[in-house]
Amino acid sequence: MIPSRLVRPTATALLLLAWAFPLYWMVTASLTPESQLFETPHIVPRALVFNHYQALFAERRFWMPIRNSLVVAAATTTLAVLVGTPCAYAMARLHFRGKTWLLAAVLAVSMLPQISIVSPLFLVLRVVGLIDTYPGLVVPYVTFALPLVVWLMTGFFRGLPSEIEDAARIDGAGRVRAAIEITLPLAAPAVATTAILTFLYAWNEFLFALSFTVSPERQTVPVAIALFRGQYQIPWGEILAGAVVASVPVIVVVVALQRRIVSGLTSGAVKG
Amino acid sequence: MMLVTACSLMPLAACASRADVLTFSGSAVGSEGAVVRRQLERFAASHPALPVQIRVTPDAADQRHQLYVQWLNAWTPDPDVLQLDVIWAPEFAAAGWIQPLDGFDQSANDTDFFSAPLRASRWLGHLYAIPWFVDVGMLYWRTDLLAAPPATFDALVAASRDAIANHRVAEGFVWEGARYEGLVAVFLEHLAGFGGRILDDDGRVAVDTPEAIRALTFMRRSIDDVGVVPASVLTWQEEQARFAFQNGRALFMRNWPYAASLMRQPAESAVAGRFAVAALPRDAGSSMPAPGSSDRLLGGSALGGSVLAINARSRHPDAAWAVVRYLTDPEQMLERARVVGQLPTRRSLYDGDRLGGLLPIAPAEARRLIDRAIPRPVTPIYTQLSGILQIHLHRALTHQEEPGSALSHAANDMRRALAAAGLPGGEL
Amino acid sequence: MTSGSSTALERRETRLAWRLMVPALGLLALVGAAPLVATGWESLHRHDVRLPWLGRPFVGFANYRQAFHDDRFVTALEHTVVFTAVSVTLELSFGLAFALALDALARGRAVARVVLLLPWALPTVVAALVWRFLFEGQSGIVNATLVWSGLAPREWLAGSFSAWVPIVFGDVWKSTPFVALLLLAGLQGIDASLYEAARLDGAGSWRRFVEITLPLVRPALVVALAFRALDAFRVFDLVYVLTGGGPGAATEVVSLYAFTTLLQDLQFGYASALAMLVFLMSFMLALFCIPRLRVSVAPDR
Repeated sequence: MIPSRLVRPTATALLLLAWAFPLYWMVTASLTPESQLFETPHIVPRALVFNHYQALFAERRFWMPIRNSLVVAAATTTLAVLVGTPCAYAMARLHFRGKTWLLAAVLAVSMLPQISIVSPLFLVLRVVGLIDTYPGLVVPYVTFALPLVVWLMTGFFRGLPSEIEDAARIDGAGRVRAAIEITLPLAAPAVATTAILTFLYAWNEFLFALSFTVSPERQTVPVAIALFRGQYQIPWGEILAGAVVASVPVIVVVVALQRRIVSGLTSGAVKG
Repeated sequence: MMLVTACSLMPLAACASRADVLTFSGSAVGSEGAVVRRQLERFAASHPALPVQIRVTPDAADQRHQLYVQWLNAWTPDPDVLQLDVIWAPEFAAAGWIQPLDGFDQSANDTDFFSAPLRASRWLGHLYAIPWFVDVGMLYWRTDLLAAPPATFDALVAASRDAIANHRVAEGFVWEGARYEGLVAVFLEHLAGFGGRILDDDGRVAVDTPEAIRALTFMRRSIDDVGVVPASVLTWQEEQARFAFQNGRALFMRNWPYAASLMRQPAESAVAGRFAVAALPRDAGSSMPAPGSSDRLLGGSALGGSVLAINARSRHPDAAWAVVRYLTDPEQMLERARVVGQLPTRRSLYDGDRLGGLLPIAPAEARRLIDRAIPRPVTPIYTQLSGILQIHLHRALTHQEEPGSALSHAANDMRRALAAAGLPGGEL
Repeated sequence: MTSGSSTALERRETRLAWRLMVPALGLLALVGAAPLVATGWESLHRHDVRLPWLGRPFVGFANYRQAFHDDRFVTALEHTVVFTAVSVTLELSFGLAFALALDALARGRAVARVVLLLPWALPTVVAALVWRFLFEGQSGIVNATLVWSGLAPREWLAGSFSAWVPIVFGDVWKSTPFVALLLLAGLQGIDASLYEAARLDGAGSWRRFVEITLPLVRPALVVALAFRALDAFRVFDLVYVLTGGGPGAATEVVSLYAFTTLLQDLQFGYASALAMLVFLMSFMLALFCIPRLRVSVAPDR
């Protein structure tokens, strides 16, 4: 029926189509009048309306949460990478005792259910006056992104052969200089990967953002979307439109670096 | 007098560092938000000493509750004025998070308010919140398909069957049956229609009485055997039920008043101009005891709505009280009714014609409904009791358990919770 | 063992290591460990915030004992374990299928990767909302498709078993991309000449898969398994939006029960104990996986 050499691409195309279908539904639903959402569904929509998107920017001033999310996510990503990479390098390359326990402890920090983390953190942030500020979000985000950063970068560094670095050191370069001049450039793919993961985490995080910000000047996209709804009334069209609009920066980041993601994600993690 | 109060706060305002504004926390979305902002601006214009700021909190009940718990448990002095769901007042009062209002001027005991929301705002003899607007469960019915709303469940079922058989509608009766607070309100109304209560007059749990079992069995059978209620209601909240009725698929709907103004827009609504609102029906065999009302023929309505309370650690309690008084003045309530369509909590506003045309039902009828509305149990552990009830009710409705056994489990769990809390009603 | 100069070198290395790690570890200890300590301490008290007249007495491990006698907790635990097992198995299988497919893809690789990554890039709450709509009883695509194929529609979210379907589908849809990309890179690391040699030896494609692909992709599989298992065990947003734990309590998972106890019942002490139990179980799961991950994170020497 299908030539054997086309079986694989066809299967792949079908699988991708199935995976993309909910996304397609999301976009068409954001262009549908709300009452139609509760009628019998059509694969191809009958009519398209743009008032949900208009409402987003006219009534809801959606650009402000997007700005806030961009600032927080960018800051989180930068700091997490800057703080986590040296730590990972130490764990991968340097000698000291208690390494496994330390690594386990680093991972353990992110294992408590988020809801239990929020209240104590809220108290602390309130005491130091960081509620409703950018640092008030960035500091917790960096903290809870660190386990992933440290873990992935450690795996990457461990996978890099140390001969090049050793050669530089034999030539007289100090340990740190060798690391910066030689190992770090090689780490660019892994850094890009970690950056994307952290960016996505900070961009989509909801519970901390809801609890640690109170004004529209600091609220991020997930919180803004959650605030769309009334007591009983839920503006699904605007929620979905908000999600579509909020995906655009994410898509830009992902498309620009998607080649780096694949080569970076696993280069250290899978070498056995 | 209020100006003097506000001026006397100036020295206080001067030494409060960042908190020299009065914060109001509540619903600020859409037309509700516009109205609140306008009213607070007017208030601020006449009280220049202390500016008032709005802090937008999520309208989703559990998210607002979550934020309040977090803030008040951390003893934050702001927000000063809090909009609470009517069922939260005893909980916040018991936890010491909101302050009693009796200490302020006498108007705290204004008898112009409806008694049920006032009762729900009292704890241990003190008044802790002022009712702001009220919601009651109502029966929406199609005026183009029926001459009059049904007074009994039997009549409702008969009319539904008839309309479905003649292909006028797809479904008979839709309500909110997902596993959440709305289900408890719907159950409360069916229960009242069969002559039962959740807590009896002594505060003892009464959900395992024969009336309750009959009510729950009726709810279940109306979905399965009789088939006038679609099984989908078990996953629906207010909006899904509204759309079912709004798109013309149902003959009857149980919902809060908010749906009425939305369904009047001809652009979006297929039933604009073809529906009306009435009291919920009752069981033909029961006569519901109605304290203080001469009309014994109506069913029960669940009481909802919001109240305004003052943070126990507020730095500006007097100014906060001034804001609360202002927002609950007759003029402001009328404005809310006009712009948002919310039912005011002052009885006197329903006299005459001031509310004419603003509400989905005639003012006199609305007042009757609110007078007879049944509050959900007034206890600090209400959300926990409701959670227990929700689970067991939903289990019975989704055939994981029989109604009798589900209600008996629910009753026992509720009694145990009350006993563990040391509250009355825990004895078996 | 080592001469004196190596010990000095070791000490210098240790000092350097700690200097490099202090910012990260410091932040983790201050901001990350503090809630852990606070929750652990709270879990040793009986603390019902609504009833301040009961005080906040120290009760030792009473809350933990109560948890194990709590039917609702045990049921939630069962649900969570089964969900994790099913979800992770499906994600690994689909992930491998995707990875194999993408590996062999000659053209359109960029498009495929973007499409694959998008579900992973959506906020979980939005993804849950989308799946809710897809499985809606009367207006959902799934039921419409069933009807169109001549099958009977069903009320998915109202059945104690069928309610799990949108939850599992939603989790698999959202998380498979992560697994697929992990495995794809693992596949791309396999030397193509191995396959050539095997084909020359006469091995069929299935044998090549079982004897070359699977063993060499095993480290990536373990990584994916660990990450996904730890996350699936703590699933919350998806269940909260899709079913809220319903119908009844049929889809209640452990994180949801802890959330309800904390924020609906306001029983801080007991909820903290439940949270600590979730943490401890995740930690045990991690300890189980780390030796198998040692292949990737342990140092060379």
